Amino acid sequence: MLNTELCGCGSGLRRVRCCEADLTALPDAAALELLTPKAVEATTLFNEKKFRDAEALALKILDMAPNQRAALRVLFEVRRAENKLGPAETLARRLASIPAENSALSTAAQLQLAQLLVGQGRHQDAAPSARAAVKLSPRDANTHHVMGVVLTETGHVHAGERHYRIAIKLLGRDDGTVLANLAWNLKLQGRLDEAAEIYQQALAIRPDNTRGIGGFAQVEAGRARLPQAIALLDKAVSQWPDDRTLRLLRALMDLQDEQFEAVITRLSGPLEALLPPELAARGQAVQRLGQITEAVTIFATAKQMQRERYGQRYEPAEFLRKAESYKAFFTADQMLNLPRASPAEGVQPVFLLGFPRSGSSLLEQLLAKIPGFAASDGFMPVAGLTDLANRLNDLEAGTNYPQTLANMAIGDGQNIPTRLRNQHLENLRTAGLVQPETKFITDRAADNHWHLGLIKLLFPEAPIIHVLRHPLDIVLSNLGQDKRLEANCGVSMIATARHYDLTMSMIKHYRGQLALRYLPVRYEALVSDPLTVLQGIVKFIGVTAAKLPSKPILRVNAFQPVPRVPAHVVTQQPLHDRSAYRYRAYEAALPQLFSEVRPILNGWIAELGYQDTP
Amino acid sequence: MSGQAILSSEEPLKPGQQRVALSDVISQISALEQQNRLDEADNLAERVLAAVPQHPHVLHLSGIILYRQGKIDEAIARMEKSIALAPTVALYPRNMCEIYRGAGRLDDAVASGKRAIELAPEDSRAYFNLALIHYERLELEESVRICDRALALDPNFAEAHFERAEALLLGGNMAEGWKSYEWRFKLKQAEGMLPKTDKPQWDGKPLPPGKLLLVADQGFGDCIQFGRLIPWAAQIAPAPVLACSGDLTPILRQIPGIGRMVTRWELTGDFDAYIPLSGLPRLAGIDSGNVPLSEGYITPNPELVAHWGAQLDRLLPKGKRRIALVWAGRPTHKNDKKRTLKLAQFAPLLARDDIVVVTVQKGEQIAQVGGYFGNAPLVNLGPDIADFADTMAILNNVERLITIDTSVAHVAGACGIPASIVLPYAPDWRWLLGRDDTPWYKSVRLFRQQRPYEWGDVMERVARSLD
Repeated sequence: MLNTELCGCGSGLRRVRCCEADLTALPDAAALELLTPKAVEATTLFNEKKFRDAEALALKILDMAPNQRAALRVLFEVRRAENKLGPAETLARRLASIPAENSALSTAAQLQLAQLLVGQGRHQDAAPSARAAVKLSPRDANTHHVMGVVLTETGHVHAGERHYRIAIKLLGRDDGTVLANLAWNLKLQGRLDEAAEIYQQALAIRPDNTRGIGGFAQVEAGRARLPQAIALLDKAVSQWPDDRTLRLLRALMDLQDEQFEAVITRLSGPLEALLPPELAARGQAVQRLGQITEAVTIFATAKQMQRERYGQRYEPAEFLRKAESYKAFFTADQMLNLPRASPAEGVQPVFLLGFPRSGSSLLEQLLAKIPGFAASDGFMPVAGLTDLANRLNDLEAGTNYPQTLANMAIGDGQNIPTRLRNQHLENLRTAGLVQPETKFITDRAADNHWHLGLIKLLFPEAPIIHVLRHPLDIVLSNLGQDKRLEANCGVSMIATARHYDLTMSMIKHYRGQLALRYLPVRYEALVSDPLTVLQGIVKFIGVTAAKLPSKPILRVNAFQPVPRVPAHVVTQQPLHDRSAYRYRAYEAALPQLFSEVRPILNGWIAELGYQDTP
Repeated sequence: MSGQAILSSEEPLKPGQQRVALSDVISQISALEQQNRLDEADNLAERVLAAVPQHPHVLHLSGIILYRQGKIDEAIARMEKSIALAPTVALYPRNMCEIYRGAGRLDDAVASGKRAIELAPEDSRAYFNLALIHYERLELEESVRICDRALALDPNFAEAHFERAEALLLGGNMAEGWKSYEWRFKLKQAEGMLPKTDKPQWDGKPLPPGKLLLVADQGFGDCIQFGRLIPWAAQIAPAPVLACSGDLTPILRQIPGIGRMVTRWELTGDFDAYIPLSGLPRLAGIDSGNVPLSEGYITPNPELVAHWGAQLDRLLPKGKRRIALVWAGRPTHKNDKKRTLKLAQFAPLLARDDIVVVTVQKGEQIAQVGGYFGNAPLVNLGPDIADFADTMAILNNVERLITIDTSVAHVAGACGIPASIVLPYAPDWRWLLGRDDTPWYKSVRLFRQQRPYEWGDVMERVARSLD
């Protein structure tokens, strides 16, 4: 009896010819050749936009030969055009997995898959096929371009830059899209002047690149050229009035310019009709106008939308497991047996800790104003060394980081911390983050709190500065943001509170088990008296004869035309203390606002000594 | 049994249930409690109490279990109820006395202790419990007198002898105290401290070289404190063999006169006599006026001192006075509850602007550092300390150690390093009474509780002493 059940993946093929096909029973090359004329016909139909006919023929061919490449390609294109991304991905993966007659075909299949995933924002998932494409066709500019996108958007900006530049070289000409992507990469690195120059080249070639215009505007704003940024966006918005990204960026410029009513006007309409980032911007404008209840309603709508419309959930399981595993391994007794990296001259890292919205970006901006300090902006996280640590240590199959570190206690593992440390410093140098005058480099990688154990082994005496802020202010501030956070903890206030608790308990564990050179600083002190806080930090680090910026300079927190600044400098604002203890006004206006999170946070509020703060 | 329902006698049985004798269940609860299976014991007691809520003995047992689980208020409520229900059972006030002591309610403890003796005047343990309370209240003569009553009833009651010794020694009556102190090896917890041998204890008479076995018998602090008498013993019985734990070797090996150090009984070789280090003060006739080497008798390794000096220079902020800190002792110590503090209790010290705190704490309690966000910078050095040699070297690089009564205090004292020791109202006997110095260590200053269990003013005084 014929099994006519369709495959659950949605490809339109029968299950036994799709995801459950017997790979050993597929037709061989000679047999497939018989179907080539039909496959050409399907391709022709597709090119003639006769999509239904093309689909029907492709389904028939694939029912006979599930590995017929051209038919698969046609079906993939049809599903992609239908925006059926799940089946499209299945078909793209199948295309990438079947042997091809030549590397060009294989490359095309890998790129197709990578681009499909990049289009969905799944850059991490796209990495294997992007890498495969580069290896198959290292002289193909397109493979390097896609690799550049994947690396840039997964935080490997320096490697990304390298691939963009190779792509430009291989193309032998300026390409508006590649140049704009390179400029965005440079913007992320904080190389704003270079980024501006390249954006100008890119937009001269492709003036219709709206994303490029948006990126350029952000660079201009970051260079303290707000009027120019606004002019760029005004022109673009009038040309493409339906482009929501441009409209949002324009509204954000208004927000930066403290034109709150203008933000609300630009992003008006029913809340459900707005997207979460638009809601976040409107909510912030409303908040600045002092309309607390309405601001909370807007922020809560955005979060609800993230959860219900986009299916985002707080997913702590992986991190709870990680916490358990790390706490079990990184104990005082275990660490006593492990070697430390040998002392090293040269640039010294200064690690910054702080839950999102605690003020660690602000601290990095202020520290960057001190001669001799450079900001790595978390682009070379110590976490990136865990794979190398695994490779250097993995003498026994089946062990993983951090358990593999136990091998360092054995004689031939003694120099591994030094090798890892040297690699890290080399990465910083290669990325151009270390200049000849750099003595200290700040590292505010978002996952530093997980890696204090490794940091202790590699940089035993590195200063660790922890920016603390009232936990309710942190939760409140994250409520007004539309940023992807670890474990998706930004999707609700309770998720933020739970993840704050997990993060703080991890830091607490490390502080108890390791001899760290740890300094807590308060966000509230940083915004009210930055000079005193910086003096304390400089003294703690032991910088001799540090020339600190003056009080007015710190307070204005202005952009400085240096070759590199932290990427977050584009949101740099004058220092203000209006956000310190903001939760009080909110709790007064909405007494139940924190009722769910207080039981989670009250212990931390007391431990941090905030309960009696006036 | 633990899986079955406990029924009151009136309740009809359901299928699968059976009636059990209450005495059997009570025995079961006691057995679980004695096996330290406290959660199971508590669970069973709760189920029994659901059926017989007014049963005095179950209430009493449940109270003991709750006390051991740290639920002091609930424990006291249950035990007071059991006494109210059965006011003539002597066991209840006898145990209540000890629970009140643990809760710091010393007046109530005395009343309970006296009531227990009234109900059972022949019960030596009732006297012993009351003697402990008098020690806690620093009523030392009364403590000795009550111990004597207990010993009249039971002359081999080792705990009572030892308590008597502690009261005498604390009161400064050393000669008599040392005699009673010899009973310490009959205590249950002293098992295994001495070698299994038919050789006699050393009587202080000359022996050939290498024929005296010295045993580092008690806690680390005691061994360091009494180790000063090794040179005295070595003058009479040259090159003695010292048996001690590996943890102590870095310290004790520096004391002159030792022939050989061993860490296992089978390595001691032949010896003619043995003596625990804690037995040396009695033989040497030590009292508060003739303690030798009180200025210090141990010198840390200079290379290690230099190593830690450089380390501290790198780790600590400049321009601050370095104060080392220990706030918790070994949890298995019999008086640990009395002496161990929380890091946060040192708040007046930690609020100072002019110091950096270097914690040399070891053990599980170092985890408290994770919750410290106080004013003074604090560096948790404990995790990097491998042994006492490191501790000594670190202490040589600080201005002062502030500590509870634990082994590190003795390390500092033996090295002649300034140290401030915070002491409970009724301290260990060695710190004597009514003085802020100690004949054992010239560099040590004592900060005593003015009232039992109240640390607040002690902490204020210690912090102010740095002015």
